[in-house]
Amino acid sequence: MDLNYTAEDQAFRQHVRDWLKEHLPRKKPETMEEKRDWHNSLYQAGFLGMGWPKAYGGQEARPMEQAIVGEELARAGAPASLNGLGISIFAPTLIHHGTEQQKDDHVKKILTAEEIWCQLYSEPNSGSDLASLQCRADVDGDEFVINGQKIWTSGAYNSDWGMMLARTDRNAPKHNGISCIMIDMHAPGVEVRPLKQISGSQEFCEVFFTNVRVPADNLVGEMNSGWRIAQTTLGYERGGNSLSRVSRMLQSFDRLLDVAQTLRIDGTRAIDDPLIRQKLGEIYTEIEVLRYSSLRILSSLEKGQRPGPESSIAKLHYSELDKHIQEVIMDILGPYGQQIGGGPDEFKFTADSDEYGESGSWAYTFLYSRAGTIYAGSSEIQKNILGERVLGLPKEVRTDRIDLAQRAAAGTKGVE
Amino acid sequence: MDFDFTEDQVMLRNLTREFLTEQCPVAHVRAMMNDPRGYDSAIYHQLIQLGMLPFPETYGGAGLGMIEQAIILEEMGRIPYPGPYFATVILAGSAIMQSNDTNAMSRYLPDICNGRFTMTLAFLEDSIGWGPGEVAMPMTKEGGFYRLSGTKRFVPYGQSADVILVAARTGGSGADGVSLIAVPHDAAGLSIEPDVMMDMSTRTATLKFDDVRVPIENLIGAENEAWPVLEATLRIASVGAAAEMLGASRKSLEMSVDYAKVRKQFGQFIGQFQAVKHKLAEMLQKVEAAQSAVYYAAWALDANAPDAVLAASVAKSALNEASRSVCGEAIQVHGGIGFTWEYDLHLYFKRAKHLEPFYGNTEHHREKALQEVLAGRVAGATA
Repeated sequence: MDLNYTAEDQAFRQHVRDWLKEHLPRKKPETMEEKRDWHNSLYQAGFLGMGWPKAYGGQEARPMEQAIVGEELARAGAPASLNGLGISIFAPTLIHHGTEQQKDDHVKKILTAEEIWCQLYSEPNSGSDLASLQCRADVDGDEFVINGQKIWTSGAYNSDWGMMLARTDRNAPKHNGISCIMIDMHAPGVEVRPLKQISGSQEFCEVFFTNVRVPADNLVGEMNSGWRIAQTTLGYERGGNSLSRVSRMLQSFDRLLDVAQTLRIDGTRAIDDPLIRQKLGEIYTEIEVLRYSSLRILSSLEKGQRPGPESSIAKLHYSELDKHIQEVIMDILGPYGQQIGGGPDEFKFTADSDEYGESGSWAYTFLYSRAGTIYAGSSEIQKNILGERVLGLPKEVRTDRIDLAQRAAAGTKGVE
Repeated sequence: MDFDFTEDQVMLRNLTREFLTEQCPVAHVRAMMNDPRGYDSAIYHQLIQLGMLPFPETYGGAGLGMIEQAIILEEMGRIPYPGPYFATVILAGSAIMQSNDTNAMSRYLPDICNGRFTMTLAFLEDSIGWGPGEVAMPMTKEGGFYRLSGTKRFVPYGQSADVILVAARTGGSGADGVSLIAVPHDAAGLSIEPDVMMDMSTRTATLKFDDVRVPIENLIGAENEAWPVLEATLRIASVGAAAEMLGASRKSLEMSVDYAKVRKQFGQFIGQFQAVKHKLAEMLQKVEAAQSAVYYAAWALDANAPDAVLAASVAKSALNEASRSVCGEAIQVHGGIGFTWEYDLHLYFKRAKHLEPFYGNTEHHREKALQEVLAGRVAGATA
């Protein structure tokens, strides 16, 4: 057991800090062009797709180097790259499951954000029960014909491609009739409608598909193996990059400490109030525990161990903790915490947050914390995974399984 | 970055578990609950001689670190072990080591290592707390003796310890003027009353000093300068207690999972119900986080990391919360059987609760952690 960073790790961290000093944009990128510029400089620095094989534009970097970049970018409050899901989920999916042609056509372009990708999984009636999805892809000659609706699709409005889970066999048990298909979002019959979120911003969309024709070559992996592929890709969402989340939490905490030095409550400086000190100590110690746990995960990644169902522990931990931290911040800041425009600079999360839904406000981070326990498998789903696949508890009795068993007994099968 | 145990550490865990499960089955723990002494000296001797003590080899120890002590204490929490290991090795032994007093080291450590006697640390008084201001019992020098009068409370294994290290006030206030002295259990004027406590598998005692005279050569370290020694000792003890609480928590989780797989209600195993399954998943998450906290802190102490003080407070506050929740919810998962004396769950619940106030409650350590971060004493990578 040795939790020191090696000299090599420390030198690399210094390299990232030096790079950020020079390249971090002074002003938050607003236009697509500014966002592309920032994305490109991250790409040129080799900070995107770091763990990928060099053949696909990656660096074959160690998990530690990836973690350090994530940590330092978060620490510096750096803007996100474009194509977060494309880089973290879909390109790795293609690298693992795609054909050589699919890899050649898309992986590099995902990395450079020439192609922006979105995730076409959830449907209005298929959230936690994702395998019940109904959007259909019917084979017609050498094409799929897509009909149905997807929802909660982040960034669909400016996406070029989407990774879709669609039903390709209506007679198979529900998990076995799903395929993974690449969708050209500019194809005729694709309609994107933005949805306004709780935070006021419009990252979410509904996407409607009406007789969208897709080449059969866009199938990823085997026909009807989409569920298995999705399991591995959802694992990417749940497992890694825990340290960068810790960095963001520490960034909020440091700012909260600054504010607590000047904010007065009932005539007392917040930092001098023992009850507020308790709350500050509470969330700080909790963030530190998450940091230690993240180092533990990183240590096993460094040894080449792939996270299994136990990655749900990390997902449950950070998302529930984030909600708790944000509630405590709201407790301490009172109405200042809820301001989404104007107000004194000394109490703001960042000084330039004047726009509703702006990610730089306490209010935005508070509202956004409600998302973490829902996306990528809700806390309830994580607890089912932990209960059944880690602790080995017996599965609950589920009516969809009973129906299936009854239909099988009656000589029919299917999902409807 | 390597968070895994070394092969030697894994062997140490296996050896400790094997020894404790064979020598201290739960029947033994229950027997000791009604034993006037509270532990079996023969088992204690064997335990001490397994070769896992943190003291230098010149004094008969194995030179092991805090990570190894945490491993041993975690195993003790799973039993829960009845005996003066913590009092002797972690409290008294650490205080002697931290004092850098080589006379005291050669006088006491070899006898700790060969098991000839047990020791403890008497810190708390009527006012309960873990800061320097709590040490109020006066100690005055007269000729070749120090004279002690007052009461020390909740002294771990104080009823059976051969030598008691007593924190006393020789001058000043706060951190200045605290001294540490070794008092033999049979000193004239010292009366020892066992406390009657909720956790009967461990012991504390009330020590009353009625003008007890102790030779000045029994002083550990320098007069008036014992606070840093005690502070470092309490820090080690808080991580040690956290490790023991981790063992009690993980054992409670394991018992609950096993029970949820066999207990049926409404025609189903109770582990099938999400109400129970989700509770167990939450307990698992808390235990895993607690494990990271304990071993990070143990490593930080061994490595003298810049955030070692912070990490110790993080670990103790985290384990206070985690063990309260996990050992408590274990009873809830079990239902009525978990509330009975016959079922073993209450042993872990009580051990965890016993350790919660010791060496700093949650509020104490949250405040301490905040002071550390305000002073910038945090891990290098987060600074």
